[in-house]
Amino acid sequence: MATDIESAVKNIIVEKLGVDESDVTTDASFTNDLGADSLDTVELIMEFEKEFDLTISDEDAENIATVGDAVDYLSEKAA
Amino acid sequence: MSDAGYGLLDGKTGIIFGALNDESIAWKVAEAAHREGAQFALSNAPVARRLGSMDELAEATDSPVIWADATDDEDLASLFNEVQDEYGGIDFIVHSIGMGVNVRKDVPYEDLNYNWYQKTLDISSVSLHRIVHHALDTGAMNDGGSVVAMSYIGAQRIFSKYSEMGDAKALLESIVRSFGYRLGQRDIRINAISQSPTKTTAGSGIEGFNAMYEFAERVSPMGNASAESCADYTVTLLSDLTRMVTMQTLYHDGGFSSMGISDQLVEAMQDAFQNDDDDA
Repeated sequence: MATDIESAVKNIIVEKLGVDESDVTTDASFTNDLGADSLDTVELIMEFEKEFDLTISDEDAENIATVGDAVDYLSEKAA
Repeated sequence: MSDAGYGLLDGKTGIIFGALNDESIAWKVAEAAHREGAQFALSNAPVARRLGSMDELAEATDSPVIWADATDDEDLASLFNEVQDEYGGIDFIVHSIGMGVNVRKDVPYEDLNYNWYQKTLDISSVSLHRIVHHALDTGAMNDGGSVVAMSYIGAQRIFSKYSEMGDAKALLESIVRSFGYRLGQRDIRINAISQSPTKTTAGSGIEGFNAMYEFAERVSPMGNASAESCADYTVTLLSDLTRMVTMQTLYHDGGFSSMGISDQLVEAMQDAFQNDDDDA
């Protein structure tokens, strides 16, 4: 279910980036809005891989820039 | 400097932690150790696989890469078992690992996020203890070996923007002494190199890094020591030539640590304060 994926994604982001849940909106960009640096974004991708037991290629990872991108990608892949 | 090297590490084996890309000190150490005839494995955290270009270094130095989280005991135990299978035993370990999570996030020292602070210490300092522990525990470390860890003068004096990393490097240097005492019985030595500010991916994560770099550049009579020169110094510490040097913090900084102020800086400060004088 998309909502489960969404809440799991948000939990990971809140924990990893130390941001408030209320800031983790669909449109929020990891780097521009949530203060992530290059290491954070890679760590996030790796956390998503672990949580959802899948492999995200570097090319796919480059296209995951917002919370919504992550939820959409993982909803499709984990379906 | 001889391009062919001096054969300082002929017949020696080891492991080098912390190369990310060709700016990394560990990268330069690997190139220098290769030049001096050593065989070694390379290691970094799994995250570096995506961030860095370690495969290139592995190919250039003909070295295996073992991905391991230096804060994870299971990873390290299995790493040293693998190293032992590959080489029998190893003669050297290079620790060039560090990260300040609060520093990266610009969290002021007086407001540290303690979870991040613990992570900083675990990654930057306790990892040295874990690595040496597992090297001994698995029997991978040979008698007469050498361990080198990279430090910075912020361990002993205040460089304000270095923040929590000063604590991390102070702990690292203390672990060097504490373990050095115990390793001495087996003629294994362990030292920290206190290196000039170096333009690496880790260094540039520090706010105000450029100012710290330029300050040290102007104060040090020889200027800042490059990563390449640090690597040359490191291989001497891994060689038998320095077999009685242990438990030290060794400055590799172009003279910075013995300086107060230089003409160059006095003149720069006079220019900077010119307007203040005019106002007075």
